[in-house]
Amino acid sequence: MAILYKNLKASVVNSLPLIILYYLSISEIDTHFSNMFEILSFNLQIIIIYYWMLKNSSVLGNGHIFFVGIINDVVMGLPLGISAISYLTVSFVASYIRQVTVNISLFTDWFTFLIALFFSNLVYLILILNFSDLQISYVDMSYNAFFTFLFYPFIWVIFNFYKKIMFLRADD
Amino acid sequence: MSSSRDDFGIAVRSALLKKGARQKFSLVFLLIVATIIFFLDANQFKLINLTKKLINDGIYRLTNISTAPLKFLPVINDKIKETAFAIKENKKLKVELQNLKNKEFQVEFLKNQNDSLKRILESDVKIKGKSILAKVLIDKDSPYLKSIVINRGSKSGIRKGMPVVDGNYLVGKIVEVNYLSSRVLLLNDLNSRIPITFGENSIQAILSGKGESKPVLEYLPDLYEPYGNQTVFTSGKDGVFIPGIPVGKTEMDELNVKVKLFSDPNQLSFVTIQLINISKGSL
Repeated sequence: MAILYKNLKASVVNSLPLIILYYLSISEIDTHFSNMFEILSFNLQIIIIYYWMLKNSSVLGNGHIFFVGIINDVVMGLPLGISAISYLTVSFVASYIRQVTVNISLFTDWFTFLIALFFSNLVYLILILNFSDLQISYVDMSYNAFFTFLFYPFIWVIFNFYKKIMFLRADD
Repeated sequence: MSSSRDDFGIAVRSALLKKGARQKFSLVFLLIVATIIFFLDANQFKLINLTKKLINDGIYRLTNISTAPLKFLPVINDKIKETAFAIKENKKLKVELQNLKNKEFQVEFLKNQNDSLKRILESDVKIKGKSILAKVLIDKDSPYLKSIVINRGSKSGIRKGMPVVDGNYLVGKIVEVNYLSSRVLLLNDLNSRIPITFGENSIQAILSGKGESKPVLEYLPDLYEPYGNQTVFTSGKDGVFIPGIPVGKTEMDELNVKVKLFSDPNQLSFVTIQLINISKGSL
């Protein structure tokens, strides 16, 4: 019974980042605070994906990232697949950084996150501009990217603290 | 030099192809699948359209259910504020009660007069025609798109392009129809263009969304001298919207003529869809 409880607790605690990721995509909770401050919006999904793919890819998994992207497109009314490609790009950059770096600190993470954010937004922009009729505001998109980059260290600190209470095995 | 190129190639290959112990799909496989889905959707592939409609209906309902508990938080907050306000007001009102009793008859007379005037005002701008009431399921605020999802679809006779009003005021039009739900493009969305008319000379213009709360008027006459506080109505020139639906009031903002919408797009709970006949050519 004790083992069962421990396993259940471990699986709930370990799945929390994934649950948050799904919930952010499926629910009306958003990180766009136009009512408080007109230009303030950031993409928490990208931060979650980048952080956990970099630190421990077994927490999220590429399949889940793909589905989260599809759900996000449906809820936001975007062409199907666009967020999935954008999120998988972030995942790819994180996986690549994990392969080539040994010593990881907040500042190296933050700097490399800029690369992931750049490629993610670039892919998003190229697909929207060339293969869809949607119009987007470059200013809003830039603000969104800027604040996503700016908030990364805060979320990093929270997740780093959370990682200590997780029951993680060595990353594969 | 050659060794660093090799290292880069190995790291990229590993990131794209490695699955790991708990990963069922490689990154490159999922990227290919996502790209195929995107291009099939972008080219309006029939099977994807049908699947998308089914997924949309399911996910919209799920979104509505998943956010239901959170909708109670503002209600609880309001209740607490109301209670605190009521206690404070009660003390104040007891003092004022005596004075108010003396003015009771006068207040009643003014109230009746106010009610009858309100009724006259309301009956003056009623939109005629068949319509259907819908509940707003999702109003997720995006930095890029301004749209809402409602709980009526093709089952209820909704068609793409139908005007959507809040009370008597225009809020947008239907842009996506599923069997049980639809998406409404709001007037302040970047992609929204509505032909409108206003002023004593019935000036024609296009109301264009800019992603901000107030859309702007475009294609105004060359010699037009803009001034604010004029009521803007739909002109019906596109053959889609009924002419004369009130939209908002003009406001001057440096060189632009902005329109303050009568209905706040961020505060919609229920909307009405005008069930009009829409020919394919007019969309």
